[in-house]
Amino acid sequence: MPSPSGGGDMRRLTSAPDRTVRALQWGIAAGTVLFIGAIILWITHLIRTAWRLGDVPSASIGISLVAIPVFLTVLGVGLYVFWGLLTDRSER
Amino acid sequence: MADPADTRDAALLAPIERTGRGFYWTVGLLSLLILWGAVAYWTQFDEGLGVTGLHQPVSWGFYVTNFVFFIGISHAGTLISAILRLSKAEWRRPITRMAEVITVMVLFIGAGQILVDLGRPDRMMNIIRYGRYQSPLLWDATSISAYLTASMIYLYIPMIPDIAILRDRVRKRKLLYSVLAMGWTGSEHQQKVLNRAIAIMAVLVIPIAVSVHTVVSFVFSMTLQPMWRSTIFGPYFVVGAIFSGIAALIVAMLVFRKAYGLHGYLKPIHFRYLGQLLLVMSLLWFYFTFAEYLTAYYGNEPEEMHVFWAKFSGPFWPFFWGMAVTNFVIPVLCLVRLGRHTIGKVLTASLSVTVGMWLERFIIVVPTLSNPRLPFGEGIYFPTWVEWGELAGSFALFALFFVLFTKLFPVISIWEIREGREVGLKEVEERLLTYLPETAEPRHAEPERGW
Amino acid sequence: MARWGMVIDLDRCTGCQACVMACKAENNVPAVGAKEAVRGRIISWMQVLTEEDEEHPGEVKRFLPRPCLQCDDPPCTKVCPVYATYRDPDGIVAQIYARCIGCRFCMAACPYNAKYFNWYRYQKEAPGQNPDVSVRPKGVVEKCTFCHHRLQKARERALAERREVAPGEYVPACAEACPARAIIFGDLSDPGSEVFRLARSPRAFRLLEELGTKPKVIYLTEGEGRG
Repeated sequence: MPSPSGGGDMRRLTSAPDRTVRALQWGIAAGTVLFIGAIILWITHLIRTAWRLGDVPSASIGISLVAIPVFLTVLGVGLYVFWGLLTDRSER
Repeated sequence: MADPADTRDAALLAPIERTGRGFYWTVGLLSLLILWGAVAYWTQFDEGLGVTGLHQPVSWGFYVTNFVFFIGISHAGTLISAILRLSKAEWRRPITRMAEVITVMVLFIGAGQILVDLGRPDRMMNIIRYGRYQSPLLWDATSISAYLTASMIYLYIPMIPDIAILRDRVRKRKLLYSVLAMGWTGSEHQQKVLNRAIAIMAVLVIPIAVSVHTVVSFVFSMTLQPMWRSTIFGPYFVVGAIFSGIAALIVAMLVFRKAYGLHGYLKPIHFRYLGQLLLVMSLLWFYFTFAEYLTAYYGNEPEEMHVFWAKFSGPFWPFFWGMAVTNFVIPVLCLVRLGRHTIGKVLTASLSVTVGMWLERFIIVVPTLSNPRLPFGEGIYFPTWVEWGELAGSFALFALFFVLFTKLFPVISIWEIREGREVGLKEVEERLLTYLPETAEPRHAEPERGW
Repeated sequence: MARWGMVIDLDRCTGCQACVMACKAENNVPAVGAKEAVRGRIISWMQVLTEEDEEHPGEVKRFLPRPCLQCDDPPCTKVCPVYATYRDPDGIVAQIYARCIGCRFCMAACPYNAKYFNWYRYQKEAPGQNPDVSVRPKGVVEKCTFCHHRLQKARERALAERREVAPGEYVPACAEACPARAIIFGDLSDPGSEVFRLARSPRAFRLLEELGTKPKVIYLTEGEGRG
């Protein structure tokens, strides 16, 4: 589905501020990975705690089985976009 | 910049480029309300929850009501944006962005209510360190963080082409826009990536949103308390959430339509469609409420009936009947015939529903607690200035977030409007043709299966 | 393993509130003051509920002393998001004040309203308090613990003397204080104990038994004194 957005302005320059911009963009991508990664780590920490204390680990595992894939999917979509857009630009 | 569309959608960029006096007045007013909330919060933090009207047995009051209410509002984003996107409803184009913004902003406010409610906010990190999945509160934490993450990405991805327009056109905040535009050039590959990501997110965000208000309802329905322990609470809360979400969305649309002169984009037809949606949700809400209360009444279990009568004719009757009027009577009267005075009627209905859904959350949370099973006597709850301050501050903070957002990013998706003009028209025509029996053309080579 | 339980004979209860006062003194339960009391913030781990007798309205009041019922399947511990309230190995429902975040979910979930919140910082450590029981800070939930500290003390003494905890060695303050001997405490799993015998009495019932919380506080209905 072609879209007219972007204004057809293709003349992007490669300059020093441009490099800062790119670094920040990859920084956002890394931040997303860190954020969602931390949430997944947190969920596994909760499973471990429940397991150690014998505090209904089945509930924790059951919920995590749904939650972790959801977070991974969200992360996957995010990275797909960052990767897809950023690398496309570098090919130009 | 040979694109003629650039000048056509100038109105959408105007609020970002220029800032009038109205903006400062609004921010000033909202800041005052937020200040009230902040002072209230500081007082509460310093002295303890005693400064509120909470007590034994009504240990949950305004804050939990606000939590349920604000999280409910967040469902505007999903329904309008995701469902309308998936169903290819063309009239969604000027609406989706606002719906998505509401979701993200209000989720922060809603999750914040829990912090306001805690007796020991300084120990908040205990939820992360020692959290246990047996508690429905942790289900909320997980579900809401999934929803927040997903809806932030779902807000951001469709904004990328617009940010690229800002990067190329607006003189201010060059670095911010350049970074956030993610090097968008509008190439075919980028568009493919973007559209695919939006499609995946639109599908993903719907079950997450449903899960959010379901587990919010579980905070109540997992207990043994009368009128809380109900199997329909999950869907009942989800319906109420979508209902209040649409109402809040309509109010926001009308506010920004007036403030930024978006009459050309948000037309009466949009409000008529949303009004019809609101009407359907009002009927659905009434159906659930009816089913919920009739089963309680017919069962006639003494403890349930204490709560029931407290709502029906007891101390909570103004709230209960107020809820019935504002959630059902007024919206139905306003929306049943939308031919004339569309906008006025839709606005009245939406404001009414916003109030009504808050009352509904209140009438679910408090009467159950104030009517304990054992003979303690009925607890009456009077909120103090602290709770009112938090309520006002929360609304103001939400409004402020929203206003600031509109100053940074277009509140209506520019590229989606353009796409509608240039691609949508043709696409709709083609799609429509595929719905119809093919008369002019000869039959396709599709092999006919004998029945 | 002992199953500590309590039998409260409603026929014997005179509603004198000695149990309430003994509990407050024993457990450093704060006096919240008149103003707070009016606002419904009284903290009373042991509370005597009163009810009009439906057969003799206006004439007979019925009393129901209510400590924490120490459910074997407690609705409050399930909902705690941070493991601040739990059923300890002795079967007593404990509250960890240092862990509690004050969300009050357990209060909302307890069908007996046996949990109390510190709306303000009601007291500081001061001489005259029971040194065995910690003073609660503001913003946390507190509750009856069956005077758990007394069990710990009894155990330590028994351990030092190289013997088992003897029956009657561990008794909560309320049971000890009751002048009408309406509150009997002991090991529900010991066939020789009084609570074992009384728990099997035809007068025995449990509060809101139908909820399936399996309380370890058992009541004996009024029978003899009525009518």
